[in-house]
Amino acid sequence: MNELRIEEELKEYKKLGRGNWGEGFGLLKGMYNGFITRIRDEAAEMEEEQDEIMPPMKMLLNLLLDLRNARREGRKICMHPFNYGPELLYTMGLVPLMQELFSVGLATTHINEFYLDITNKIGYGDNPTLCNAQRPLIGAYMQKAAPVPDLLFFLSTPCNSLSITYQVFQHITNVPLFNIDIPYWAHEHSSEFYDERIMDYMLSQLKNFIPWLEKQTNRKFEIEKFQETMNLVNQSREYVSDFNELLKTVPCPVPSIAGFGNWLAMTLRGGTSEAVKVTKYIRDQAAERVKEGLGGVEDEKLRIAWPYTHVFFDQELFKWLEEEFQAVTIMDILGFYPVGPHDTSTLEKCYESLALGTLDYSMIGTCRGPVEYFVDFLINWINEYKIDCVIIPMQFACKHAYAMTTLASEIARQETGVPTLVFGCDPYDSREVPSETIRAKISEFLNQIVL
Amino acid sequence: MTVLDDFTKGDSLLNPWMDEWKKQGKKILGYFCTYIPEEIIHAADILPVRIRAKGCTDTPMGDAYLSPTTCSFTRCCLEMANRKQFDFLDGIISCNSCDQIRRLYDNIRYKTPFSNQYFLSVPSNVNDITIDFFKYELNKFKNYLEKTFNVDITEEKLKNSIELHNKSRTLLKELYLLRKKKNPPITGTDIMNILLSGVSMPKNQFNELLTTQLKEIEGKEGISDDKSRIMLVGSMLDDPEYVKIIEDLGGLIVNDAVCIGTKYFWEIVDENLDPLDALANRYLSRVSCPRMAGEQSKRVDFVLNLIKEFNVDGVIFQRMKFCPFWWAEIFVLRDELKKQGVPFLDLEREYVLSGAGAMKTRVQGFMEVLEGK
Ligand code: SF4
Ligand code: SF4
Repeated sequence: MNELRIEEELKEYKKLGRGNWGEGFGLLKGMYNGFITRIRDEAAEMEEEQDEIMPPMKMLLNLLLDLRNARREGRKICMHPFNYGPELLYTMGLVPLMQELFSVGLATTHINEFYLDITNKIGYGDNPTLCNAQRPLIGAYMQKAAPVPDLLFFLSTPCNSLSITYQVFQHITNVPLFNIDIPYWAHEHSSEFYDERIMDYMLSQLKNFIPWLEKQTNRKFEIEKFQETMNLVNQSREYVSDFNELLKTVPCPVPSIAGFGNWLAMTLRGGTSEAVKVTKYIRDQAAERVKEGLGGVEDEKLRIAWPYTHVFFDQELFKWLEEEFQAVTIMDILGFYPVGPHDTSTLEKCYESLALGTLDYSMIGTCRGPVEYFVDFLINWINEYKIDCVIIPMQFACKHAYAMTTLASEIARQETGVPTLVFGCDPYDSREVPSETIRAKISEFLNQIVL
Repeated sequence: MTVLDDFTKGDSLLNPWMDEWKKQGKKILGYFCTYIPEEIIHAADILPVRIRAKGCTDTPMGDAYLSPTTCSFTRCCLEMANRKQFDFLDGIISCNSCDQIRRLYDNIRYKTPFSNQYFLSVPSNVNDITIDFFKYELNKFKNYLEKTFNVDITEEKLKNSIELHNKSRTLLKELYLLRKKKNPPITGTDIMNILLSGVSMPKNQFNELLTTQLKEIEGKEGISDDKSRIMLVGSMLDDPEYVKIIEDLGGLIVNDAVCIGTKYFWEIVDENLDPLDALANRYLSRVSCPRMAGEQSKRVDFVLNLIKEFNVDGVIFQRMKFCPFWWAEIFVLRDELKKQGVPFLDLEREYVLSGAGAMKTRVQGFMEVLEGK
């Protein structure tokens, strides 16, 4: 490790994070310090010298500081779900807080489970009914461990669990809430489900969101700021598209689910120069390795598609797949951010780009309508990324997905011959189906069916 | 035979009225949700029938394709469709009422398709934009029916249909309001049979029967041997037996906030507006189901008002297992009821009545709590 540079950076962050973060910021402060420790540990383990904190990690640290500072400085925090790019929120000077920062962030250290128990105790759902991507926050609110945002915003898809839990958040926090309806029909002319009204419908709703934001923030919507933000989004989208192309290379140039960082960048910081930096960094890393003919996994043998979320509590799962089976997991459903750059030359085009970004966002585009949206996406993945098998660790409570995966994998298998493993688990709670059971299922599938 | 006896026929999957309708060579379309306007189907001279899965015993296909942790109503529906139990239908109309219903439609399309099937995208919140979009969706639906069944759905037909359905709603409300009395003249079990008939028989016949029924109970001595006045709240319930268990234990159901209940008929459609405008407005703005965002406080107020107006002693939540919407909704309602000091009982259930013994024990306990108050 290049002691000097990175240590200095970490020291600086350590200093910035000191002191009391204020009511409800306990968990975020814990995460912040956890990241610092993780960066230090990972840097120490690196074979090559690392002279500065990697952009994705720096982005996370900055985001957490930004949230804390927002509360201190009286800037408003808007909570939104994992399937929405916050560009409009940034345009309006808001500080976005992706709700799943808690469930995903805390699952990795199992702290989630403590808050889930509290949520269970107060009677807000159980795992097969309501998703644990949202439920821990209810427990965290009860403990005053999570900040109450100033505004709530969500989309009606991909799932009921999310949309109803936002209404419960509102009930608990009494915070103003705005919702955008995501229609069932397709906006692409090529789709058999195309409907000519969809784009207009989305545009009207997004434009209707703006006066609401103006009222809540007491701030005028600035067209230049919006265009500037959308241009930054576009730059990021360009890097992400490049990266998605590079993933097609055999061997895959990066280790498993490297694209997850793109989703983080677009969902946490989309529309900022920081997201541009992160997406460029991820693209550059992949491009460099393609040039050198390097694979993310030594002697790549298997290419896996993971068209669902990770098992968040098991951070070693992909590494285990790499080491045990020389299998690279090309992408997961979140990390495969599929929105390409759009024309942002005029104001109206910026709105359109925003609407397209909202409709096509990770998991929205694939899960909002009929099963064909998901099936087409899966078949394209399989074909374009030369996939050998598909693994779907289905969250028990994820009704929209669980109720289509058997059908979808059946269709995909008929079309491509590629086998799929679907099994139930809870990516946010290791006590439901533990790592050993998950690994045993995957091993059996790979050994007996795929290899 | 009384009119009430007649209405018990409504509980069967294929009732004599539907049989009669089919014998006339007319079509029947099954629909899944109260957000689908019956009026448009009726205006095409097709009988709209609420899809139920009565008679379902097990769900191997539902478990395999929809997953075992999906609501049992949807699993039963897939099973029944697969076993050709819905073959009396000439088609189905579905919508995105919830994720389970949305995916049920996908599975039906691939695994056990109907000759006619249609899906409506129902917005998840209410404002001018979503109402306008829903009007557009309804117009598309109208065009689909016209084209598929070779009919002409004129403005006049739609207006007549709205008038007829409003009449039903008004009669049902009249019936419900009688339950405000100290001794209501009708049980919740009978009401359920009436409603099940209402969603599965021609509306004009239903209105006639209901008018006679209202006359029959007018001035009738009310029920006085009940122990408590109960409001029923929760997800899809279409089982008179379930209601009867509660009533046999002394809990007289005096009103509800359920799907085949007030959510179905409480508000009328404005007859002075353009028909599709009026339908879009009414269906999106009616007392909502938990699928509608931003409407929760209105839903809470609706329940609290009914509790007050109907002098309710306690609320029974009947919550379909694995239903996210209703669990969350009941979580909020429980909070509000606690604040108001209204006792409640939260019962989880499967679509097919099972565990009646355990249910009886819990209801009995609840009745004792209410009596002790
Ligand atoms: S995992 Fe499924 S149910 Fe959970 S938040 Fe994501 S989409 Fe919703
Ligand atoms: S009970 Fe709940 S999950 Fe089942 S169909 Fe109704 S709303 Fe959907």
